[in-house]
Amino acid sequence: MTESLAFLLAGTLAAATPLLFAAMGEVVVEKSGVLNLGIEGMMATGAVTGFVIVAQGGAPGTALAAGALAGALLSCVFGALVLVFLAHQVAAGLAVGILGLGASVQIGKAFEGRTIAPIPRIDLGPLSELPVIGRALFGQTPMVYAALVSVLLVWWFLNRSRAGLVVRAVGESPSAADAIGYPVAWIRFAAICFGGAMAGLGGASLTLAYTPLWADGLIAGRGWIVVALVVFGAWRPGRILLGAWLFGAVSLLELTLQGIGLAIPSQLLSALPYLVTIAVLAIISRDPRRLRLDQPVSLGRTHVPRA
Amino acid sequence: MFKNPLLAPLAGALLGTAALGGAAPAAAADPITIGYVYPSPAGDVGWARELDNGRQAVEEALGDRVTSVVVENVPEGPDAARVMNQLATQGADLIMLGSFGYMNDGIKLARRYPDIDFIHASGYQLADNFANFQTRNYESAYAAGQAAGFVTESDDIGMVAAYAIPEIVGLINAFTLGARSVNPDATSRVVWLNSWFNPSKAQESARSLISQGSDVIFSIYQDTPSVVTVAEEEGVYVVNTSSDMKAYAPEHLLASMQIDWSDYFVAKVQSVIDDTFEGDAFYGGMADGAVSVESLSEDLSDEQRATVEATIAAIADASVHPFTGPIVDQSGETRVAEGETLDDAAIMSMDWLVDGVQTRLPN
Repeated sequence: MTESLAFLLAGTLAAATPLLFAAMGEVVVEKSGVLNLGIEGMMATGAVTGFVIVAQGGAPGTALAAGALAGALLSCVFGALVLVFLAHQVAAGLAVGILGLGASVQIGKAFEGRTIAPIPRIDLGPLSELPVIGRALFGQTPMVYAALVSVLLVWWFLNRSRAGLVVRAVGESPSAADAIGYPVAWIRFAAICFGGAMAGLGGASLTLAYTPLWADGLIAGRGWIVVALVVFGAWRPGRILLGAWLFGAVSLLELTLQGIGLAIPSQLLSALPYLVTIAVLAIISRDPRRLRLDQPVSLGRTHVPRA
Repeated sequence: MFKNPLLAPLAGALLGTAALGGAAPAAAADPITIGYVYPSPAGDVGWARELDNGRQAVEEALGDRVTSVVVENVPEGPDAARVMNQLATQGADLIMLGSFGYMNDGIKLARRYPDIDFIHASGYQLADNFANFQTRNYESAYAAGQAAGFVTESDDIGMVAAYAIPEIVGLINAFTLGARSVNPDATSRVVWLNSWFNPSKAQESARSLISQGSDVIFSIYQDTPSVVTVAEEEGVYVVNTSSDMKAYAPEHLLASMQIDWSDYFVAKVQSVIDDTFEGDAFYGGMADGAVSVESLSEDLSDEQRATVEATIAAIADASVHPFTGPIVDQSGETRVAEGETLDDAAIMSMDWLVDGVQTRLPN
């Protein structure tokens, strides 16, 4: 029983890590008023890039940076479509996402099914050996801790920094920000690049630390889960963290319950993580006044810059 | 999503060599076109890899009398129907459908194109131009199960399976029966992935089972070494299907249940060339060379090893059948009486789990 609990706790933090990286990127993008639905593709390109570099002998640090860069490059395509050509954000995001998925398959063709040595977990000796919580808190890969730090940093950035205030202002009313003189397009572009880089980092952490192999379809819909987390988490990093943990925990609980042999249909158990996460987040965030404060007013709307 | 990496460039080649619509029996000079549809990417190992090895055997044996078109990673459903239709209209003479879930679309297509022949993996529908092929993987599962029964100390075997189709249910049962034949206290548990391809979830399932006390893992039809590497990392024994995965778990691979389609594919393609194709059911086992147990672990004692190898030999010459009674199911009902064996039809439609499996079938 304690082994199962230890597995659940440790596994939840590890499973939530790719989601958190991508979600922190996406929350900045959406706070600036752009709806990026291409996260799945950006995670995939980041994942395959990171994997290919390590598979060919590169260092994990280089691979992570390269993964972030790959995600950022793909998001530049999205940024150009949405900010320069003023394309519809939803359509452009989906298209770029599909492009990213296809590109990742192409890049990874020669590496299909290969495995690499994962980034090792840290070992703090007796701390890591503590029952139940040892591995969860003190025996994770560095990516897990980095993801938690990123949540703090993004929260601080959005809520306590001047730059974050500008980003939020652009998201609330781009025309007002434009009138004051802020370069709305550049700010959004920077946010989009950040979002792409974080999504790429999330994908890379998936193939370098969590499931150290490459296969087409490895991302398995996590990009869409990230979009849902950001929206149902009311664009608040704390809520999104809770949602990511909840999703990870219920996903692993599903497997544990199956192993115990309860007679719950496995198909229902497979759907449970999604149902529970959306339900809990939606219920927590149901206050309409608070929601109006959190939701970027111009989300998804194309802003035409002043001539 | 849309994944036809080889279809577009080869379509040009097809137009030059294919007849319009359905193909008439090929003359000696005309190469026949074979379309291969795989449910997952053909990596270094796995189900699709062995199908692709079959394709390579065909090309080696028949050279320029065949042209191959391969479409990988085709999900079951509308995508599969579209791909099959495309292959048919572009003039394939034989289409190999590599997954159970292609069956309904495949049989419909076969009725529409009586001149095209089909071979379908793991299904149960047949027609004059629609044959199917299955492995008697349960034979190697039984032998590997004996090895598992020998090495398990917690008497808890964890199994990672995709869906509860009869073929997989048969594997679970045979493995459990094999384990219990040498170790009556052994039990098994199953986690259903509900996906043919989700390496992350497969790894999580393996870890979950290990954390719950399994010290032997049976990885059923995982196309990547995902479960095998987790087992190696956690230090538990693992048995896998389809390909030899010794390279991924040099210390803890207990056995690999190898599949080999070469002989069958070559024979079927030859029958299409000779216009003698029959819509029959091929149920290949150890005796046909379609199924074998590879890389049996050296951790087994000489005596244990001898037992397993004797079982393999006995199954291959049909003196032992894995599903020989008495066999009792989970609810206590005797499904196979003492001295009787299950016939092929019963094995292919198995929808019950034997006593000793702790998990229920999903409804």
